[in-house]
Amino acid sequence: MFLTQTFARIPWAYTVRRLVYNIPVYMGVILLVMGCLRMHDPIYSYLGKNATEQQYEKFAEKSGLDQPFVYQYFSFLGKIVTFNFVDDPSWDKPGESVGELISKSIGPSLAITIPALCLTSLISIVVGLLSAFNRGNLFDKSLVVTAVLGMSVSFLVYIIFGQYFGAFVPKQHFGYDIFSVSGYEPMFPHFPTSFADIQYAINTWCYYCMLPVMISVIVAMGYDSRFYRAVMVEETGKDYITTAKAKGASQAKIMFVHMLMNAMIPIITRIMTTVPFLITGSLLLEVFFGIPGMGRQLILAIGAKDFPVIQAYTAVLAAAFIVSNVLTDVLYAIVDPRVTLR
Amino acid sequence: MNFGFLQTRTARKFLRNKLALGASFIIAIYFVFAALVMCGLITLPQTEERIGPKHIPGFYGHARPEVRLEQVASYFEKVEIALDSTSPEATLAEIKFGELRVANKSLEELRQIVDDGWVFYDELTEQENLDVSPNVIPMIEKFEQKKAELFAPMTDFQATKQMIYLSLGTDRQGRSIALRAIYSIKVAFQIGAVTSLISVLMGSFLGAAAAFFGGWVDHVVIWLYSTFSSVPNLVLLVVLAYTFSGTMFDGTLVPVYVSFCMTFWIGPCRVIRGETLKIKELEYVHAARAMGFNRVYILLRHIIPNTAHLMLVNFSLLFIGAIKSEVILSFLGLGVKKGPSWGIMISQAKSEVITGYFWQIGTATIFMVGLVLAFNILTDALQDILDPKHV
Repeated sequence: MFLTQTFARIPWAYTVRRLVYNIPVYMGVILLVMGCLRMHDPIYSYLGKNATEQQYEKFAEKSGLDQPFVYQYFSFLGKIVTFNFVDDPSWDKPGESVGELISKSIGPSLAITIPALCLTSLISIVVGLLSAFNRGNLFDKSLVVTAVLGMSVSFLVYIIFGQYFGAFVPKQHFGYDIFSVSGYEPMFPHFPTSFADIQYAINTWCYYCMLPVMISVIVAMGYDSRFYRAVMVEETGKDYITTAKAKGASQAKIMFVHMLMNAMIPIITRIMTTVPFLITGSLLLEVFFGIPGMGRQLILAIGAKDFPVIQAYTAVLAAAFIVSNVLTDVLYAIVDPRVTLR
Repeated sequence: MNFGFLQTRTARKFLRNKLALGASFIIAIYFVFAALVMCGLITLPQTEERIGPKHIPGFYGHARPEVRLEQVASYFEKVEIALDSTSPEATLAEIKFGELRVANKSLEELRQIVDDGWVFYDELTEQENLDVSPNVIPMIEKFEQKKAELFAPMTDFQATKQMIYLSLGTDRQGRSIALRAIYSIKVAFQIGAVTSLISVLMGSFLGAAAAFFGGWVDHVVIWLYSTFSSVPNLVLLVVLAYTFSGTMFDGTLVPVYVSFCMTFWIGPCRVIRGETLKIKELEYVHAARAMGFNRVYILLRHIIPNTAHLMLVNFSLLFIGAIKSEVILSFLGLGVKKGPSWGIMISQAKSEVITGYFWQIGTATIFMVGLVLAFNILTDALQDILDPKHV
């Protein structure tokens, strides 16, 4: 019932229009990325200065960099649209295509980002609500102070201390091997068929991904709960809250039904704007905890000057980002009937 | 001088906000330090200099006996190597740990002190459970006195300098953490001020022009900022920084500046564009138009100055962003390459934390938190005063 209602409210024409509008933007992104990466010759920086002319030409021919830029541009665009990087070998890891690398690294990235996104939003919305409702008292004040303090500490510091106190100290000094200091194993080595498989997946997730997710949640909490608090504070002053109070609605009902529903628009915007933060956040977490996700692959590729991989990863990340933006706009329409679409 | 501006509504609001005043005071202190470093209070070679053994704890504390012993022994090692070299006098004269110089004694005397020292050292290392046995500390102290005999006595001024160098400990290469942290204030201000100034100016001009001229200018600017903002922030930073690494700008801060500016201009551009859409319908703009002023003149004279409050808020926001992004970029090896910065310090501290040495990461973090926190509070206050509608 709820599903069909929601489904009926998806503004299809609008969605399609938004997607079409983003086509020139995405073409611009590809232009930007490709232009940037060609600023100084990628082949020379990979082969080094001692490469001979012959080596250079062979390499250029093999990777298609000897073609005119316009040709390269459209062939790359074609590859992105069809998501076909199969015959695009990675320079640094011979034998592996860019497509394989990407599809291998999506899983680990999602294993961190999705739980982190859900948990952060959930916890900080509740905290923001509570804080706004108890405005001015000790709980609220201490929360605001903690949030501002927490925002001022570098993400890197959180990660270093998180890894040290969360994984290293328990293991080294107390002998509890709760979280892995670094490393990753796939959650589903084969397709899950039994209960034991699912149990295994949960165990491996907890061991490898729980700590990074926790760190990411703590970091994002400062920003998010402060923001949600501001949103809720604004809502508490509105007339409909007074009406609800006058009609004798309970506090919990006002908070979680009236206020939350009306604050949905800024909340959704916020959740969606944290998506890029999650990508960047997970980039550092992946590098630190040795999780072979997209961010870590990108950084490794940059270190190895692995040109095709850098290009493809940036393009794919940008595509994911654009899709999430379109999704935000569509979600508005579903959540809030006041939004009129043009 | 005219202090009339202090009587305006905005200024009075600001002066009433104690927290914001405190924050500005802290920023001013940081700024003074940055200016002093610029004037040559601390030079780059000084921050790279070895001032003692590695991982000395700050506040003149002592490491645990086992580590402390090795730290003292490292002085003896250095002198002994010099004594064994082909030209002992010259090598000895080169030895310096901050302000410490080898004492003006004959080679035989020095040799004697070193040998005495090694006797203490051997005695100590023979002990089992160095970290727990009670009579170890006095013995190490004797060992340290021997070490003091090796070096020339310092004047009061030199001793104070040495005290300051050692006040926050030393890093993995025996460099002074205090000096490096203070020098990094300059780096932070440099990066923050340059990048946020350029990106605010660039973004405001583009945003205002887009809204004011409309038509194809607007379309182009919107397309530009949608394009740049469609690449996740850090990914764009990383790719841009990579673009400039390996060029002639390698080793300077130029790649950092360029990548930050190209990423940061989007925020102010969006905000100012929205504001200009409102402003351009106001009466004074219509009046200016009716008087036949050039459109570019109206833009520069009437519109952009009236968005100054938003520019200020954005400048402060971007300053924080620049300082924090510098840390991340430096950790990834794409940021500051020459000289110290808080990012370099934090990422170097990664390996020390495992050994339980927190002075480097702690110092860098506290220095950074002070500045960022002050800017956060200031930004909040500015936003409340200048842009109250913003959530």
